[in-house]
Amino acid sequence: MGIPILGNMKFTVGWLYPDLMNIYGDRGNILTLLRRAEWHGYETTVVELGRGSTTQMDDVDVFFFGGGQDREQALIYDDLREFKQASLQRAVQNGAQILAVCGGYQLLGHYYQTADGKRYDGIGLIDVRTEAGKRRFIGDVVVQAEIEGLSPSTLVGFENHSGRTFLGPKAKPLGRVLQGHGNNGADRREGCVQGGVIGTYMHGSLLPKNPHLADHLIAAALRRRGAGALSHLDDSAELAAHDWILQRAQRR
Amino acid sequence: MIRKTAAVWAGKATGTLSRVSRRGGGTTLPGDIARIIDPKILTRLAKDLTYGSIVVTGTNGKTTTARLLSWLLEGAGHRVVANRAGANLIFGVTAAALNRAGSDGRLKADWGVFEIDEASLPKAVDEIQPRATLVLNLFRDQLDRYGELETIAKKIEKALGAVPETSRAILNADDPRVAEIGLNLARKPLWYGLDDISVASTTLPHAADARTCPRCGSSLIFDAVYVGHDGVYRCPNHDFSRPTPEIAATNIKLDGFDSLALTIDGTRIEMPLGGLYNCYNVLAAYAAARSIDLTAAYIADRLRTFKAAFGRQERVEFRGRHLILVLSKNPAGFNETVRTAVELAQGKNFIVGLNDRKADGTDVSWIWDVDFEMLKGKADVVIPAGNRAHDLAVRLKYAGVAAEQPQTDSGKALDLLIKSTREGDTAYLLCTYTAMLDLRAELVRRGWASPYWET
Ligand SMILES: [Zn+2]
Repeated sequence: MGIPILGNMKFTVGWLYPDLMNIYGDRGNILTLLRRAEWHGYETTVVELGRGSTTQMDDVDVFFFGGGQDREQALIYDDLREFKQASLQRAVQNGAQILAVCGGYQLLGHYYQTADGKRYDGIGLIDVRTEAGKRRFIGDVVVQAEIEGLSPSTLVGFENHSGRTFLGPKAKPLGRVLQGHGNNGADRREGCVQGGVIGTYMHGSLLPKNPHLADHLIAAALRRRGAGALSHLDDSAELAAHDWILQRAQRR
Repeated sequence: MIRKTAAVWAGKATGTLSRVSRRGGGTTLPGDIARIIDPKILTRLAKDLTYGSIVVTGTNGKTTTARLLSWLLEGAGHRVVANRAGANLIFGVTAAALNRAGSDGRLKADWGVFEIDEASLPKAVDEIQPRATLVLNLFRDQLDRYGELETIAKKIEKALGAVPETSRAILNADDPRVAEIGLNLARKPLWYGLDDISVASTTLPHAADARTCPRCGSSLIFDAVYVGHDGVYRCPNHDFSRPTPEIAATNIKLDGFDSLALTIDGTRIEMPLGGLYNCYNVLAAYAAARSIDLTAAYIADRLRTFKAAFGRQERVEFRGRHLILVLSKNPAGFNETVRTAVELAQGKNFIVGLNDRKADGTDVSWIWDVDFEMLKGKADVVIPAGNRAHDLAVRLKYAGVAAEQPQTDSGKALDLLIKSTREGDTAYLLCTYTAMLDLRAELVRRGWASPYWET
């Protein structure tokens, strides 16, 4: 893989730990990637990347890494390093994309530090670190995206996290917070973009209400296969849901 | 005692005021007031009960199970106090007890049957000291409000460990996380479960969330799946498996939302409730009723004439159309109501309602864990409704379901439903809690249904 194959109309989603890291309706992100790629004319596959070794990671165009409850997150912690880290690094270098939400976002960073100072190492794929916070940030999030060419330029989602994530110099924010708390409630930044990795605290689910971000991920991943621009889809239903959150934010 | 009487009076006055001002059924506010005057009011009132209380908790089925139990007790000549309108926090329970207290401040009832929110169980058990506690299931539900499943399970375990020796835990053996609670208790609980593979599936639905062994974290092996992650399971490491239920249902027959039949220990029970998930509720109520010595023959006879609670398979007739209201509030519950409506009742017309108010859960992402794909090619009319109707419309689009325009206004949603449902046909309203309240209020306003505190 990694060599563009012209005319190969296949699109593969890799779902990391679907049985354990799927707490916040993450399936919505998977379904959105799959359906949209199909509507754009691609033949889709989803590979479930559960615990243990796997040989399927090189085929993946977009990886999804969702959130989990504390107990589930503890169960994948060692597996991620042992069986997934090297393949994920290779995939991103070859142009694959990763969308990581909540727990997945934290685990791809340098570390997660608990309230009593204990550090759990992440896999350091993105230049972010996370510390436990006292108060949980819960509610709608509206972000002014800093990804070029994204239209509309807003992203909407729902956050529910107590971790405070801070970006290092290699990571750029996904966007500026217009409503909600974002990464840490302090610097008005939400999520991160670094190479082919997008990390975020927005679920809700994220991609169904942000079809433009879904297409951005699909197009970016397919570029290495020599694909051109995606076809235009009717997104009126998706954008109506998007706008509903924007309008509610403006009323507040 | 003077304090108790004062609290009772203040609470009762608030209840009347709240009903008169039509703010609602007067279901919790009186409890708040009375608890401020006398924080021990619920404990004092519970002691007035002739026989004691039965407490019902779990993610899904609390209201129906509690209602079944009240029905059984009342039929046997007992005076029952119950928190009926889904007011399942400690204030709602207190309000229900107040409502039945006399002017002398004494609670005039033989039994208390209380449904309790999972997170409120420790407090409720401590204050009520129930004769029996039923734990129905533990599904993922409104994480923004309740916190994580594991935290809830630990709370329930602690609460059950602290009850007096005369108190019985009655638990669903088919739910892995509930089973783990029971296996850790010092005293053996009374287990119940389903035993009929003809109604089981062998694969877990997507929404199943307790699929790992609570002891070692391995993926559980399911030999049968009944509802959500409830079924017959074992851990590949042999350290955990489904406890054998003493109260088991066999020979299950289901007929849409109309009826179900099952056999428990040689007794055939047939009743006007639909859906496999209600088999669990019936079984739970049966187990509790047997534990307080109601006879199997009496239970079977009495259940024949049971009537469902507000919004739980409630039926409304309008101009020859039959509307069936089914509360559907989380992935596991929604999957079962959709399955029952589509596969068992062959339903064609639907309103699917989603609100994001506090009582519904402010995070609506869980709709992506509901298998709305079941409606694809089966339903003729699907109307997304509620204040988050637009989110539902997107969910349905990605499920391949051809839905109508989303309707955020309850009246417009009903108009569209009536317009698209032929006379004589049945339509199903599957909604979250406040979305159901909104639609129901509209039905009441149009004179099609009575206010819920009168039902
Ligand atoms: Zn095990």
